[in-house]
Amino acid sequence: MKYLFYLILVLLLVPLQTTLLPHLSVWNIKPDLGLVAAALVGLFAGELEGLLVGLAIGWVLSLFSAGELWLSLMTNGGVGLLAGFLGRQVSQVTSISLGVGLLLVSFASGLFAAMNFKQLDVSQMWWMVESIVLPQACFDGAVGAGLYWLLSQRFHVTRLRTE
Amino acid sequence: MWMAHSRSPYGARRLALACFALLLVALFLLPAQIQGLLQYLDGPVGHVVRVPLEAIASIDAGIADRWEQHVALQGVREENQQLRKEIEWLRGQHSQLRESAAATERLTALLHFKEQALPTMIAAQVIGRDATNRYRAIILNKGESDGIKPDMGVVTPAGVVGRVVKTTGVTSVVLLMTDPTNAIAGLIQRTRDEGIVEGTQQGLAQLKYIPLLSTLRDGDRVVTSGLVGGFPRGLVIGTITSIDKQEGALFQSAELMPEVDVGRVEEVLVIQTSYGRSTKAGAGADLIGKPSP
Repeated sequence: MKYLFYLILVLLLVPLQTTLLPHLSVWNIKPDLGLVAAALVGLFAGELEGLLVGLAIGWVLSLFSAGELWLSLMTNGGVGLLAGFLGRQVSQVTSISLGVGLLLVSFASGLFAAMNFKQLDVSQMWWMVESIVLPQACFDGAVGAGLYWLLSQRFHVTRLRTE
Repeated sequence: MWMAHSRSPYGARRLALACFALLLVALFLLPAQIQGLLQYLDGPVGHVVRVPLEAIASIDAGIADRWEQHVALQGVREENQQLRKEIEWLRGQHSQLRESAAATERLTALLHFKEQALPTMIAAQVIGRDATNRYRAIILNKGESDGIKPDMGVVTPAGVVGRVVKTTGVTSVVLLMTDPTNAIAGLIQRTRDEGIVEGTQQGLAQLKYIPLLSTLRDGDRVVTSGLVGGFPRGLVIGTITSIDKQEGALFQSAELMPEVDVGRVEEVLVIQTSYGRSTKAGAGADLIGKPSP
């Protein structure tokens, strides 16, 4: 059942991310649902599942992006793994703390991706950080916090994490 | 509560760390092998993912169509669409005729030996946009099984859209000409000076490496040079809107307004014929006029 859920999640993320989200983008920036999903899976299901689901998401999304495969694998897999570790260290996760955590992780991964662009000079890098990386990090944080809040209304998420 | 049962702290943590470390090592030491390995799986996965992707894309297109039909006056909208298509077509024709006229003036004698090789084109629909915010790319509903390969040029009747950078069996990713990482060999139609067209971060394009002695001016059209890449000579790229000529610089550059609104493109043509140095001059001059069905 769990693996079926993961499979459906990975399959549905592609049309959501590539077809529906562009309509909901703000200033041409859309949230990275893959990153949010990997973080949530890592947080609830532990680092191993976070890593594996993150890798699967990264790989499938990279098929539908001009970006490089390794970067997508590293960021999504890494976020799932990191969320799994953090989930064990933090006793009380709130939607705000999750949102801030996602914001930081998304910003770090965006910065890492921006640094891998070959032809960017300092001004172009700054432009990218200011107009893509930072807004997307805020967006990811807000979406993650919102999803966590919705889940916490529906389930007893603290027990779900610690059981 | 199924998520909670999978937690086995130390074993899982070690295994996760080991997996990640192994992946890191493999990605950095054997990037080509890992890529090759995953390419075997790209095809089947692409087939599976295409089903929900196309379903949602068609629902999305249907809703957008209905919405537009109800909001706009239907008759006016249809007429407008027809006129827009006609304008696009005429722009392509106009550009082609200008290109032909320029070529005729310069190469009248040579044109007698010109081969009328028409490129093969594949029509494809846009079913999505790049999964990340970092690239300006579109996803097409045709892939390797339809004969599409990386580096093929993508156009509409109005002009250049971009080039294919990635394919699965049934889909392909096209990097738009407005993406800063894209580069297309361009030619100023009036002066015949060559340069490289690159995207800008603002979503427009610029022509770089134009010779200092070039007499270009605002309003000049830039077309593909046909020397490198998947485009024949003479496809419209855009119109020069401003020129940047700095003292002491080796080249000048110019801002371009792309001919195609790549943010709204819905159907495209992928050029299958390969172009480049081996292509005979003028071989693709009639491209816009005669797309294959």
